[in-house]
Amino acid sequence: MVEARSRERSLLRKSLSPSHACATPLELGGLADGSLAQPGAAHLRDHVSGCARCQTELKLLNDFENAAPGPDEEGAVRWISARLERRFSEASARPSPWRARHGGALPRRSVFTALNLGGFALAAATLAAAVTIGLREGRAPELAQPSPAAPTVLRSAGITTLSPAGDLDAAPNELRWEPQTDAASYSVQVMEVDYVELWSAETRDASIALPPALRARIVPGKPLLWEVVGKDAAGRVVAWSGKQRFRIRR
Amino acid sequence: MSNHLAAGGSGASVWLQELFRRHYTKVVTWCLRVAGDREEAYDLAQGVFVKAQRHLGAFRGDSKVSTWLYSITRSECLNYLKSRCPLNDSLDDDIAEALPDDPESRPEHAFELHSSVQAARVLLDRELTDTEKRVFILHYGDDVPLLTITRMLGLENPSGAKAYLVSARRKLARALRRWRASERLTA
Repeated sequence: MVEARSRERSLLRKSLSPSHACATPLELGGLADGSLAQPGAAHLRDHVSGCARCQTELKLLNDFENAAPGPDEEGAVRWISARLERRFSEASARPSPWRARHGGALPRRSVFTALNLGGFALAAATLAAAVTIGLREGRAPELAQPSPAAPTVLRSAGITTLSPAGDLDAAPNELRWEPQTDAASYSVQVMEVDYVELWSAETRDASIALPPALRARIVPGKPLLWEVVGKDAAGRVVAWSGKQRFRIRR
Repeated sequence: MSNHLAAGGSGASVWLQELFRRHYTKVVTWCLRVAGDREEAYDLAQGVFVKAQRHLGAFRGDSKVSTWLYSITRSECLNYLKSRCPLNDSLDDDIAEALPDDPESRPEHAFELHSSVQAARVLLDRELTDTEKRVFILHYGDDVPLLTITRMLGLENPSGAKAYLVSARRKLARALRRWRASERLTA
């Protein structure tokens, strides 16, 4: 009985595992966002349309892209992110004491300290800000109501955003923020409330016009987020606005 | 001004900063759903970021960063499941009890009889709902435990993925009986 079940499971696995014709996750992503080159894309699209396996993978990829903690997951995600942030900080602050003492194999939870992470040292500072601000925004923030007499000023982790914020009467034409003295350029991103990116751009100015295609996606009642990251001349992140929220009134 | 952030345009370290800043939420959330336990999910998420850092040089920039990160997360999660959560056969026993006690009605048996992988795929595609297909494929194709599938797919019915698997197997069994009956008629 056990042997029969094992044989059956093996056969099912063979039937349901990806075949040589199935798309890889990277190819599925390319198909989904239109970046996969022709003529391979057309051939692959035909396969995916008739392949339950590929469609399952595509669904999982989409779920991953949109993954955000639910109410019952927020506490655990906050806890994990805080520990990761601490681990990053440790990795950037000191060399690996474990390797110095023991060399060779490492306990699983010390893997960050085992790496000579040049990039991680820089990443640590940013992740720390990201964890703090991102978790603060785990619940949807209340919309700030801009005063008609003066522009709304929202201060967060470095960059002061000017507009848009809160409830608006019409789709904004641009994003504006106060210039940062250390910043030589800025990266901006507009996203859905679940952090799915709608548009991103780089500029050297303290404002940037929104393209018509993006403005068309700003519809009444639908909240969106935006953020700006300041970078120095070497491309290092020096300031961040945190995520700001706005929407057009219904 | 240049639209769209270019991977590696200002050096790997800046690119890494962007990677973590933009994607840690989805990686951590995904790992939590796969592991179902915050300690395990922490280890898993840590492994994903370390692997991303190690394989940074292999990223060619011709796919979205989040897609590339998904492929790493997916691989790490499947490896984790294989190492930590061998399939719980008692769940399959429960499912077997919910089905008619007829070995020939079991889809595995028919698939074996006909040795046809293609036939299995056609039947699956024709007979099952999208959610049933996903549960069936993840459970039997990737050895993902049913409780994990319930969390991954966000299934909110009381029995989660198990209900879909039972339903899928019943449908496949019925389809196979019909198929055998039509074969007998044409023979």
